Amino acid sequence: MTTPLRRRQVLGLGLAGLGTAVVGPVLWDRVQRSAARAQPAGAARLASRGGLADLELVAQATRGTLPGGPAELLTYNGRSPGPLLEVNAGDRVRLRLRNELKQPTNLHFHGLHIPPTGTADNVFLSVPPGGSFDYEFTLAKDHPAGLFYVHPHQHGLSADQVFGGLSSALVVRGDLDRIPEVAAAKETVLVLKDFASASGQEAAMGVGRMLGREGPLLTVNGAINPGLAIPSGGLLRLRLLNASNARMYRLALEGHSLVLIATDGGAIATPEPLDELLLAPGERADVLVQGNQTPGSYRLLNLPYQRSGHMGMAAAEDAPRTLATLSYAGTVPPLPLPKALIPVPALPKPERTRRFVMAHAMGTGMGGMKHDMGAMGGGGMAMGGMGMGFVINGQAFDPDRIDTRVALGSTEDWLIVNDDVMDHPFHLHVNPFQVISRAGRPESQRRWKDTVLVKAGEEVRIRVTFRDFPGRTVYHCHNLDHEDLGLMGVLQIE
Amino acid sequence: MNSTSFRGHSRFLDLLLGVGAVAAVVSGGGSLAARASAPALMPVTSYRSASCGCCTGWVKHMRANGFTVRDVVVADVGVVKRRLGVPARLASCHTAEVAGFALEGHVPAADVKRLLQKRPPVAGLALPGMPLGSPGMESAYGKEAFTVMAFTRTGAISSFSQHAK
Repeated sequence: MTTPLRRRQVLGLGLAGLGTAVVGPVLWDRVQRSAARAQPAGAARLASRGGLADLELVAQATRGTLPGGPAELLTYNGRSPGPLLEVNAGDRVRLRLRNELKQPTNLHFHGLHIPPTGTADNVFLSVPPGGSFDYEFTLAKDHPAGLFYVHPHQHGLSADQVFGGLSSALVVRGDLDRIPEVAAAKETVLVLKDFASASGQEAAMGVGRMLGREGPLLTVNGAINPGLAIPSGGLLRLRLLNASNARMYRLALEGHSLVLIATDGGAIATPEPLDELLLAPGERADVLVQGNQTPGSYRLLNLPYQRSGHMGMAAAEDAPRTLATLSYAGTVPPLPLPKALIPVPALPKPERTRRFVMAHAMGTGMGGMKHDMGAMGGGGMAMGGMGMGFVINGQAFDPDRIDTRVALGSTEDWLIVNDDVMDHPFHLHVNPFQVISRAGRPESQRRWKDTVLVKAGEEVRIRVTFRDFPGRTVYHCHNLDHEDLGLMGVLQIE
Repeated sequence: MNSTSFRGHSRFLDLLLGVGAVAAVVSGGGSLAARASAPALMPVTSYRSASCGCCTGWVKHMRANGFTVRDVVVADVGVVKRRLGVPARLASCHTAEVAGFALEGHVPAADVKRLLQKRPPVAGLALPGMPLGSPGMESAYGKEAFTVMAFTRTGAISSFSQHAK
């Protein structure tokens, strides 16, 4: 059962102004805590019933407040994050997207293994302003249980829309949830999202589109430093989603291990205690926390992280930031950790290996204008190319060009090479993959992933079987500014 | 040879940089013709990592505006930034030196010329990040407004010039 956070409300959606002094996040935290509750928005949770999920998301701009004054946030059903969507493996899903924005939008069902075509995970369709679209698909009965992510994927506007606030967590119930120790844990979905300040001054300090925009306001489910409760002896299942545009989360919980039980695509085989958990944009993780410490309050921290390692930059923030506070309340008979979860089978031997090199460069690009990159230098857009942006294997995204053709049912290794000065989280739609090695070192345990961080200068080998669904889809950098600036390729499964 | 020791990075980066250091080369010999025809401006030395895709765009911009530029590939540009006192929060991709001043990132040539004419009591100029539309960052994806900052040896930062979208 999902337990909402104790509310220490939220992004001031629908609130009258809270005063216009420009205050830092810490002070704002105090301001927000004493503020009135926001006006009610749509339901916080939308769930399926009797095998059918009948859902509606309305994308809209909503007046709210940020430090420094009023702001326009982008919301689903008046919320940022949008409502928690909860379905079961085997469900029929109908989701009407209504677009009340002034620009086109669409949806990506990040991590779901469903067709990339038609009314399913079709990121090539676009819903115009004022329009609507009915997404409809059926989840397989054996679809892995996990935490997935619904967000816009409108090329060129993805970063604006996600950074502005559009996202919803999507829980698929299934195998993992039936493991008794997991079922006994109290569950909380935590959507991690940063927001720009009302002034937007951070952009002027260089955190623009090329690096990927980050905001100084760190929120969890739209709240700053919300409280989490755990009974002594209890188990808390934190289901973490990085719904930020570019920000990395390097998570640690004071005094406690984070016991990893699931990654992007579902359960791992054996629980794995971690001191820290690094989540790139688009990544998810389920962790168990044991209430086995001296009762008190413990901070869930975001530790400093350097994501432009080859630029000689310091981490953008040099001190830990508090994301949420865990407090002990009550006592229960001690709950054990699960000993085993769900096996993650090895994938078949790959039939071939491909290499994808990510970089920023004067790109060739849209509309079939392919030129010698040397001719692009200095003059930028001479010869009609895209000018500066991001490329895979030298080419910027072109929706009309198929970059990679694979056979349905085949298994491939992809060597993802980051030949850039900054990190790139690589995301593949529709089919989960397994990370085989990083920088030549084998991974310790097989995990289902759909997004993997490839650090500046690093190489990561992934293995993927293209199962079940033919059609056209994409792979891209999940720093969404990078995606919008060309770091995306088209995959044809046939 | 400006390949330098590496430090301040995580372990895997150290490994990679260790490999990179061996391969680091001084490049810039190709600019002899440009140097010969350049007006009498102070020479610029620019330091970048081999994998930087935009740094050479800035070098070309500077050469097109009359500067003689030595384009140096280093294993860890962070070492250069620390030597020149570039505040970490103003960092960009490449770092350059001219007449004892540091130039961080895609600073427009016009700003560099004004710096050399006026000689304000600063350690250098910085354009933090890599704003789209700045010199060497021209892009059909758009332009961003940006502000060139001046910084001192003690880390004081002020606005030097503002550039609209």
